Amino acid sequence: MIRNYVKTAFRSLMKNKGFTFINVLGLALGLATCLLIVFYVFDELSYDRYNVKADRIYRLNNDIKFGGLENSYAITPAPAAAALKGDFPEIEQVARLRNRGGNQVKKGTQDIQEDRMVYADNSIFDIFTLPMIAGNPARALVDPHTMVITEDMARKYFGRVNVIGQVLTINDSVQFKVTGVIKNIPKQSHFHFDFYMSMPTIAESKSAAWFSNNFGTYILLKPGADPKVFAAKLNDFMARHAGSQLQAILHMDFKTLEKSGSYFRLSIIPLTKIHLQSNSVDEIEANGSISYVYIFSATAIFILLIACVNFMNLSTARSANRAREVGVRKVLGSPRSALIAQFLTESILVTLVGAIIAVLAAWSMLGLFNQMSGKDLTVTPQILGWLIPALLIIILVVGCLAGSYPALFLSGFQPIKVLKGKLAGGFKGGMLRSILVVVQFTISIILIVSTMVISNQLKYIQSKDLGYNRDHVLVIKNVWALGNAAKTFKQEVRQLAGVQGATLSNALPTDENGNSTTYFKDPVIDQKRSVLTFDWNIDEDFIPTLGIKMAAGRNFSKDMATDSTGIVINEAFAKQLGYANPVNQFLYTPADQMATKTTKYHIIGVVKDFNFKSLRTNVTPLVFVLDQNIGDLSVRINSADIPSLMAKIKDQWKGLSPNRQFSYVFMDDNFDALYRSEERMGAISIAFTSLAIVIACLGLFGLAAYAAEQRIKEIGIRKVLGADISTIVNMLSKDFIKLVLIAIAIAVPFAWWAMHGWLQGFAYKQNIQWWVPATAGVSAILIAFLTISFQAIKAALTNPVTSLRSE
Amino acid sequence: MEAPMIKITDLEKFYRTEEVETIALNKLSIEVKTGEFVAIMGPSGCGKSTLLNILGMLDDPDEGSYVFNGVEVAHFTERKRADLRKHNIGFVFQSFNLIDELTVFENVELPLIYTGVPSAERVKRVEEVLDKMQIMHRRNHYPQQLSGGQQQRVAIARAVVNKPKLILADEPTGNLDSSNGNDVMELLTDLNEQGTTIIMVTHSEHDARYSHRIIRLLDGQTVVENIMI
Repeated sequence: MIRNYVKTAFRSLMKNKGFTFINVLGLALGLATCLLIVFYVFDELSYDRYNVKADRIYRLNNDIKFGGLENSYAITPAPAAAALKGDFPEIEQVARLRNRGGNQVKKGTQDIQEDRMVYADNSIFDIFTLPMIAGNPARALVDPHTMVITEDMARKYFGRVNVIGQVLTINDSVQFKVTGVIKNIPKQSHFHFDFYMSMPTIAESKSAAWFSNNFGTYILLKPGADPKVFAAKLNDFMARHAGSQLQAILHMDFKTLEKSGSYFRLSIIPLTKIHLQSNSVDEIEANGSISYVYIFSATAIFILLIACVNFMNLSTARSANRAREVGVRKVLGSPRSALIAQFLTESILVTLVGAIIAVLAAWSMLGLFNQMSGKDLTVTPQILGWLIPALLIIILVVGCLAGSYPALFLSGFQPIKVLKGKLAGGFKGGMLRSILVVVQFTISIILIVSTMVISNQLKYIQSKDLGYNRDHVLVIKNVWALGNAAKTFKQEVRQLAGVQGATLSNALPTDENGNSTTYFKDPVIDQKRSVLTFDWNIDEDFIPTLGIKMAAGRNFSKDMATDSTGIVINEAFAKQLGYANPVNQFLYTPADQMATKTTKYHIIGVVKDFNFKSLRTNVTPLVFVLDQNIGDLSVRINSADIPSLMAKIKDQWKGLSPNRQFSYVFMDDNFDALYRSEERMGAISIAFTSLAIVIACLGLFGLAAYAAEQRIKEIGIRKVLGADISTIVNMLSKDFIKLVLIAIAIAVPFAWWAMHGWLQGFAYKQNIQWWVPATAGVSAILIAFLTISFQAIKAALTNPVTSLRSE
Repeated sequence: MEAPMIKITDLEKFYRTEEVETIALNKLSIEVKTGEFVAIMGPSGCGKSTLLNILGMLDDPDEGSYVFNGVEVAHFTERKRADLRKHNIGFVFQSFNLIDELTVFENVELPLIYTGVPSAERVKRVEEVLDKMQIMHRRNHYPQQLSGGQQQRVAIARAVVNKPKLILADEPTGNLDSSNGNDVMELLTDLNEQGTTIIMVTHSEHDARYSHRIIRLLDGQTVVENIMI
């Protein structure tokens, strides 16, 4: 029996090649897109799961509201880890990571810049699954000046893996002994450090300051410990340990602090949620976003839905042509169930072929998709392990879903009626089919509107005046490493033709850099009269070189000796201070971690606000302090011949430091990197939208073809009676255009609402303009009309004699 | 006297549209004996086809009784009717109604599949009947590749392959030229002589002459019954 079904199904599909092609192509496109998205989503969801104990690992967060700012930080006080382990029996282990940024590592005579370096407690090997190829995980990072590196680094610096006992020189001065080599960190990890230096190396690791946050703290709970119960005890813990320091600094206890509206609280986040759900200050790397996972999953389902709808629509539209077969089979004694089985076999067969093409297509598009999504997805045996069974299930489900309506509909035919030709008008009265077309176009229009809003917002970001000029600025990295020669380097670069200005600073608007500090209005500090601010060290050329405008007062000056205690603040800072004229006012900041003394600063100027963080957030307080020989050198260029200028700058660098690596970026590239996830989102959604529209049009194309075929006799008669081509095209298009109009009415408000929500993620945004949904609607109508009119014109041009003779 | 194969009594069938009610069969009573060859004639719209559909259990009557081989079937469920139908009745249509996607062999095999005949037995029986209809050489062709006469032979082969007791033929020569039409009538006569009961609807007096008895219908009622033999 099954053989008979497959045979009939196969022959019927081959006989209607056009129909089969549209169906298979639509399904294959839909499934291929779905597969790519499933790969993406699974990859995103698999972060940090390589850790065997992932379910018991938590990271400590620091939630702070103070000085007018409220933020969650991924970094915590140095003493927290040891104190936690001492206080809570449910904790099995704790470990800290201290990220002090990149360093130069010596290889032969070359100093190579390495950015993925971190100081770590030895206990990281008890918590994270970092398999050690060589070395003793129990002791590797116990002694000062020891280091564990990844196998890639071992190969890079020594050409082999077992390098225990070898020595690496950092920043041309400090030596570390390699005591362990671990496997490379999996891609799906929230950190990717290559060098783990022993924590005891740095004095800071023994700090007892509870109000200085620099350490990532990870906690491994014992099996069975309830994280909620544990987390509830953290406020008391903080008060117990940090109470006396709070008393010393702010002269109050935690309760009074909370009553005044400020707080320092500890919380925990499960390791496996860090990648998708944590967006704290000072995350080790930029994390992913759960909302993109949701959006992409929804898109995948949408696209698959459109493809399934095509299948159902085309199959039912075609039912009139199959009706006679159903009638004959019923007369010959076929039970209804056998017919249902037959049509399901047919649709599962189509789905199977579609799935095979989809797998091949997804596989060949993986490279392109990786490029667009910034991922590095590959097909591994593990993936195949779940992919193949999952695909089989998808084939069955989609096949049954897509085939169910035609199967039930066709098998319900009354044999005498179909054999008498009474069901020839099988196309009309397709209420369900109309609803499905509306669903398809609703989804397509929502996708068009979303894509337009995303790309408009990206354009807006690109063109918004940020309050500084990021074009033609070359940033030479790690100039601080030149020590006192940094200033010399700056002077030399400034002399070069084609250089307009140069400035040294430890932070830049296109880098999420800079420390946070609190400034107080009075020498005796009072938390109510404070401003929590980002704190940048710059030189006197910073403001003019970056084109930042002064709002009041003046810039730093070389000629004013007192400027070392001067500060320049931004308007947001000034607003929070509340002085009518902030220039010449004095501010105080703690001189040490325990705030036993304060340093006095003199406000000499106020700059206009500029966007020094992503446009997702509002401009917050910022203060500039004068410094030298620091950070990176930003160079404003007005030369057309950038390569030769670059070569000259590099020569200067090599003259001062022959062994150090010369590395640079362009500021606008860095700026683009800030919005890379939005840009990717934009590119991917354009691709998905186009696909959805193509699939929906494929379906419409097929439907229009059948509509024309069904009405071929009517068209013939009308032509004989004198109808011209445009009347007939109009007649055939009208029904479909009506459906598209209904889709517009449903889609536009929904898309408006959804994208309005997305835009809320930006403090600076381009609101949705009226012409966005208008354009989407008009283009949907145009696309639909073009698709239909192809068929309609073909039908209208047919010689009526041929169509009328067929009866 | 031997009980009739078919006995219908006071059979009524109406067709309703929104405004009009049409009476297709009006208290019709007919008997057909086993082994008879009956022709049903009458003008268009007299109820011939409705009667044939009810006799073939493709449709059910609104009123009256239909006894088939001693069993009252007038209000059987669709499933029971289908079951009775596939074991007892073969159909021959004016427009052949072969399935285009299946070959000659597969078309004829279909009823055997639905009655659950095992594969080897099916091959034997299909070959036997194709041989008898002299279309064995066409067994692997598709319907569109055959002439009208050949298609109707295939249709008859399909109707008889299950060895039904009754064959219902709805204008079996309507789409054929006279020479092919005569061949088909000869085939039906042969089948009848071998014991199969045949009821045939026709417009053709010539074809009707092959039967034993002609029932003439007008407005859903029997007008005349001519005994041919």
